[in-house]
Amino acid sequence: MAEILVGIIQGLVIILLSPLITGIMRKTKARTQKRMGARLLQPYYDILKLIKKDEVISDQSSWIFRICPWVNFVALAAAAFFIPLFLTYSPFGLAGDLLLVIGLFALARFFTMLASLDVASSFGGLGSSREMMYSALLEPALFLTIFIVALTYGGTNLSTLVTEVSSATLLPHPQLIFAAIAMFVLVLGETGRLPFDNPSTHLELTMVHEAMILEYSGKSLALIEWSQAIKLLILLVLVVNIFVPWGISSSITIPALGIGFVSLFAKISILAIFIAYFESSIAKWRLFRIPDLVAVAIASSMIGIILYYIK
Amino acid sequence: MVENLSLFQLVVFLFASGALLGLFSRNSRFTRILTFIPTMIGSFFTVIFSVSVILEKPFQLMVPNLLPFINFEIKVDGIAAFFLLLISIVSFAVSLYSIGYSKEYEAKKRTSVFGFLFNSFILSMILVVASNNSFFFLIFWELMSLTSFFLVIYDHDKEENVKSGLTYLVMTHFGTAFIFASFLLGYIQTGSFSFDAFRNSSSSFPLLTKNLIFLFAFIGFGTKAGIVPLHIWLPQAHPSAPSNVSALMSAVMIKIGIYGIVRTVFDLSGFGLSPEYSWWGLLMIAIGSVSAIIGVLYAVIEHDIKRALAFSSIENIGIILVGFGLSVVFASFNLTTLSALALIASMYHTMNHSVFKGLLFMGAGSVVYATHTRNMEHLGGLIKKMPWTALLFLIGTISIVGLPPFNGFISEWLTMQALLSSYQIPSIILQISIAFASLPFALTIGVAAATFVKLFGISFLSRPRSDTIAKIKEVPRSMIAGMSILAAACVLLGVLPFLGISVITSAFHILSQPINPFDTIILQNSFGKSFANLSMPVVVIMLLSVAIAIFGFIKVIGGKTKKTTFSTWDCGFGNLNERMEYTGTSLSQPIRVVFKTLFRSHTQIQREFFGDHKYILRTLKVESFTKNIFEEKLYLPIMSSSIFIFDKIRKIQTGKINAYLLYIMITIVLLLLFVRLSHNV
Repeated sequence: MAEILVGIIQGLVIILLSPLITGIMRKTKARTQKRMGARLLQPYYDILKLIKKDEVISDQSSWIFRICPWVNFVALAAAAFFIPLFLTYSPFGLAGDLLLVIGLFALARFFTMLASLDVASSFGGLGSSREMMYSALLEPALFLTIFIVALTYGGTNLSTLVTEVSSATLLPHPQLIFAAIAMFVLVLGETGRLPFDNPSTHLELTMVHEAMILEYSGKSLALIEWSQAIKLLILLVLVVNIFVPWGISSSITIPALGIGFVSLFAKISILAIFIAYFESSIAKWRLFRIPDLVAVAIASSMIGIILYYIK
Repeated sequence: MVENLSLFQLVVFLFASGALLGLFSRNSRFTRILTFIPTMIGSFFTVIFSVSVILEKPFQLMVPNLLPFINFEIKVDGIAAFFLLLISIVSFAVSLYSIGYSKEYEAKKRTSVFGFLFNSFILSMILVVASNNSFFFLIFWELMSLTSFFLVIYDHDKEENVKSGLTYLVMTHFGTAFIFASFLLGYIQTGSFSFDAFRNSSSSFPLLTKNLIFLFAFIGFGTKAGIVPLHIWLPQAHPSAPSNVSALMSAVMIKIGIYGIVRTVFDLSGFGLSPEYSWWGLLMIAIGSVSAIIGVLYAVIEHDIKRALAFSSIENIGIILVGFGLSVVFASFNLTTLSALALIASMYHTMNHSVFKGLLFMGAGSVVYATHTRNMEHLGGLIKKMPWTALLFLIGTISIVGLPPFNGFISEWLTMQALLSSYQIPSIILQISIAFASLPFALTIGVAAATFVKLFGISFLSRPRSDTIAKIKEVPRSMIAGMSILAAACVLLGVLPFLGISVITSAFHILSQPINPFDTIILQNSFGKSFANLSMPVVVIMLLSVAIAIFGFIKVIGGKTKKTTFSTWDCGFGNLNERMEYTGTSLSQPIRVVFKTLFRSHTQIQREFFGDHKYILRTLKVESFTKNIFEEKLYLPIMSSSIFIFDKIRKIQTGKINAYLLYIMITIVLLLLFVRLSHNV
């Protein structure tokens, strides 16, 4: 019973904490650009404000457009429950593994792409078309990275995975370094960060994800923003718990959980700040240079696989 | 046993009567009922028959010496029954659909002939799967190919349909020749046409013979399944055929090719393979992943709905072959559990592909029925005019893309797990090459999502791209009912994966008793810990509870808000119209650019200016081409060289009687010499 309770708490923490991480990243970006930036909690206020606002819906749209924010939120929030956060396992890990989490991501993205075509504006098609390319190219990099991690720690089951990670010795396996490189590119690509996409722009030359959700307002926009924040946090948690598991709790005792939570929050914040710095220091890449970056991720994970097998 | 015998006879009788009743009733009002109702009943009984075979014991029937020295043998074991089940479920749905769909052709064509061919086609597929004798197998195989050929060219007023029918006919006979060769090798070894004889003595075949039998059978059946580079007929024949036939061909007939490959491997080995045979599996993995990636990349740039679906069939055949190849590799290293996992994965995908590709082709047929075009650049906005078709098509789309909680996800998940499990193979070269084979596999899954976003998004969503869309109506109820059956199967096989898995485990004798459909899939790693778990019922419950929770949260916190309908954001310019939407071609343009080596795409831009003004355009014409490198680099050279050779041969065919008399005399002299000389020896 306690396990299930902790499992539910872990999922809820991801869902509730995610806007804060987005806030931290925005603040960091603002500071590196010598701006004050909005408050850390601003994403929460944004969501609460949007939820109370009226919506404008395109007259061309169908029920696909209306259902998409809900599918997005449900898929990504449900994915959050499978992730071991400050405990090395999640009781819901019995029901689904890493590949299911990736599948839920894909479900959310699929509906976003459809909804963007649904409103019959050229922006939607533009975003959708670029997202099609990104997602198609990122898929093999993602699977090969999962391949390395799953083989090194003996499973795609997230509980097995994180438990093995936390009990492994400090000396990392060489293939994991390559997996980490690939994973970093993947996090940038999957969450639409620079150089893939700039989440804070509405310039038609560069936008990808923003172009797809251009028509959303009110409650729907709140749901989409929130689910994007959840997706970002899930990916950061995965990176942290797979590559730097220090401090994670392996038993349900209050002190251990406390340490687990604090260390996780610290690690996530550092990673988020690092990504925001990284984003500030580079420009958006030309669309057709992106395959090169993905190719780096794929090559890196292929080297990782070879290293795993020939150790 | 008696029960099964009479069931089988009933099935044959029903299909035959469906075929003949259509011919005898020229009154077209009843033709539809008379031809398709017996098909439905027959399919229904085939479902019962195959389920009873899977659950109980194999069914056997033998008529000795039906032809001199050749026995007519029928044997339906678990494997055959599994494929019979696929045939019958799909043909049930498709014949229900056809009752409405054949109205499309009623004014123009003789539907009675169609009914005859349709029924004989399904019956021949059933008999191919059921026959236990290579001679009759080939007869039914040929019957299947010919009836489907006539169905492909049913709409023969269009020249392109005849052309694609011809390509199909040539390719299918190319395949048949190889199947024939593989059976002949078996006959030389055993002196019998019976598959039972092949099975019983296959362990004593020499290694080379076994390898050759496998290779020939793989090429032969692979042609039917549509593996690259023998896939050339598939994207031509599927779009040309009426949509209910394409549904049958793509969902079921190409699976008979898979059945042939599976049957050959099982018969030759009984799955007691040794490492020498691992190349069989590797070949299938290699060809499978190439087919998958080539198929899906051609699908994504296609703007003809049915051609895109046909290319996607090539892709799915590839995924099935990757799974089956893995199973053979695992079996050859005696990893029985993993071999069973990979076998379940590939057979689950076979089943899923039958279900969702049948559904999607029927959906495409409904679009064609309503709009009379297959070109998605002329469609758009169908979701408002045809809500049911759109919903059912969307279910098929989500399933084929492999998104949870629909059925495609389960089989792709299983195949991925089988790929991940390759680390247990005791050979580094194999381990690494299989790991690298997962690269095209994963890319395929990514591009497949793009393909179907385009297919559904461009045809069903946004603004209509032509005026005809304004006048269309939803298709007749029988068509929707036919599609709903397969859509329900998509959902059911996705939410309760053990329904499908227990059918496969009992059909292939992996486990003896059926499994509780609410169970969790658990795979263990080599340390006995859980490698991966999946319990779809729990996932669905979680999704539902999150949905309810967030709905409540938003309603409580947000309170009541208004929804206003207004035109799409147009940057203040006003008057967005359908020409400003994204087209299908531009939607897939980034992918076309990234994979330009494959597509060889090039764009021609012609500009015409107003007099000397270099900046004011009078006209602008943009044309964009892609090449099919398989047609150009592989088939065209073969065709032109054979035309060259036949041109030379034609020189001796002068048409003059005296020349032919000379040939005859030369032949006789040579024969006499031959007889004389050989007699002396």
